[in-house]
Amino acid sequence: MSGRVIVITSGKGGVGKTTTSANIGTALAKAGQKVVLIDTDIGLRNLDLLLGLENRIVYTIVDVVEERCKLKQALVKDKKNPNLCLLAAAQTRDKSAVNQEQLKAICDELKEDNDFILVDCPAGIEQGFQNAVAGATEAIVVTTPEMSAVRDADRIIGLLEAKEEIESYRLLLNRVRPNLIKSNDMMSVEDVVDILSCSLIGIIPEDTGVITSTNKGEPIVNDEKSLAGQAYSNVAKRVMGEEVDFLNLEEPKGWAAKVKKFFAGLFGKE
Amino acid sequence: MREIITELYKKLAGFFQTPEKENLKEVACNRLKLVLMQDRTNLTPQLLERMRGEMIDLLSKYVEMDKEALELNFAQEGDSMALMLSIPVVRAKDEEEIQALIKEEEERKAKAEAEKAQEEEEETKENKDEDSEEEPKEEISEEEEKDSEEEVEEGCACLIEGPCECQANENPEKEEQAWVAPKKNKKHKPQ
Repeated sequence: MSGRVIVITSGKGGVGKTTTSANIGTALAKAGQKVVLIDTDIGLRNLDLLLGLENRIVYTIVDVVEERCKLKQALVKDKKNPNLCLLAAAQTRDKSAVNQEQLKAICDELKEDNDFILVDCPAGIEQGFQNAVAGATEAIVVTTPEMSAVRDADRIIGLLEAKEEIESYRLLLNRVRPNLIKSNDMMSVEDVVDILSCSLIGIIPEDTGVITSTNKGEPIVNDEKSLAGQAYSNVAKRVMGEEVDFLNLEEPKGWAAKVKKFFAGLFGKE
Repeated sequence: MREIITELYKKLAGFFQTPEKENLKEVACNRLKLVLMQDRTNLTPQLLERMRGEMIDLLSKYVEMDKEALELNFAQEGDSMALMLSIPVVRAKDEEEIQALIKEEEERKAKAEAEKAQEEEEETKENKDEDSEEEPKEEISEEEEKDSEEEVEEGCACLIEGPCECQANENPEKEEQAWVAPKKNKKHKPQ
């Protein structure tokens, strides 16, 4: 078996790389794929928290690199899904604890008996980014419809294009707010795609459920009712090569909806 | 009670009419496009303005144009980037005028070259004449400075009469005005 190595990157911090990694990983595993998530954000690890695995970590990626344990020993199995494993980052070291060759070697080894290796990249374009990208052949660029995030995504796309190993990259637009787009207060999905001229792999709506699910240590894809969860599971399907339409994020139209909204506003329920 | 009524009235009014407001999305898109163009090409606003000035100098030899309205933009189509220049032509120049300007420029060039050659000759002469090191060197460096200053002036000396645009553009405010507010849909075509 030769799995696919996908790096999830963004340039800017706080746009949802780790949330995206956790959710796509979980969704792929739910679909029966064997998945390993690698957290390369050494010193600022968070992927374990989002998956609720923080208490189970014994060895980290640095232990693997420094040969204190075998790669398989360091993989932490997910609570619910045995198809999903996490290779956690060390919290007490920094990005220089691992180099590009070492990460590439880890990815190559994991490729042999997994379908997908998702690499959660740290923010920035320095060594952490270079490390994370080293073993990957595909990339998902996460951005939000904000100027700073789009600008950083453009920079990242430029860097990815310069890398021969990266065969394809696609854009994931996170934290989209249909209401603001409708009132022309936020750049639309089309605007961002047009500006970055990059193909889309997903549109994720802003969802308070993401915060609450993080608190529980359970990715939002497990909540099938939530819009963000559905959007993430669609992304996973597109990663697997299925063609899925993008979700309609617009609020219900028509006078009934408007009246409802009006009364909601009147009684302060907004 | 009155407050409640006015509040209710406001809500009702807001319900039936959408207030006109700034299109913030457009603002964001335009600012972003500009900044990305600079990021991608490594051209700062200063360099772009310089480029614009030089283009105006070059093109006004052949056509009379509206210098203020000349637009220089980058457009992206797929993976490739294009430099878009739109020039509002005010009037086509007579052949005589063009020839005269070209002749003038050539004369100026020839003159400058001759001067340069002369100066070089003098320099070599001075070097040969005086073996003492310090004094003549200073003189030469002074002359060289003058030369370079002259060259800079030549670089932006417009062939047009009136105030030189390139110098006027040293004013950063003006630059910004010229670059922040390019009218998007107003494309000028040569008449």
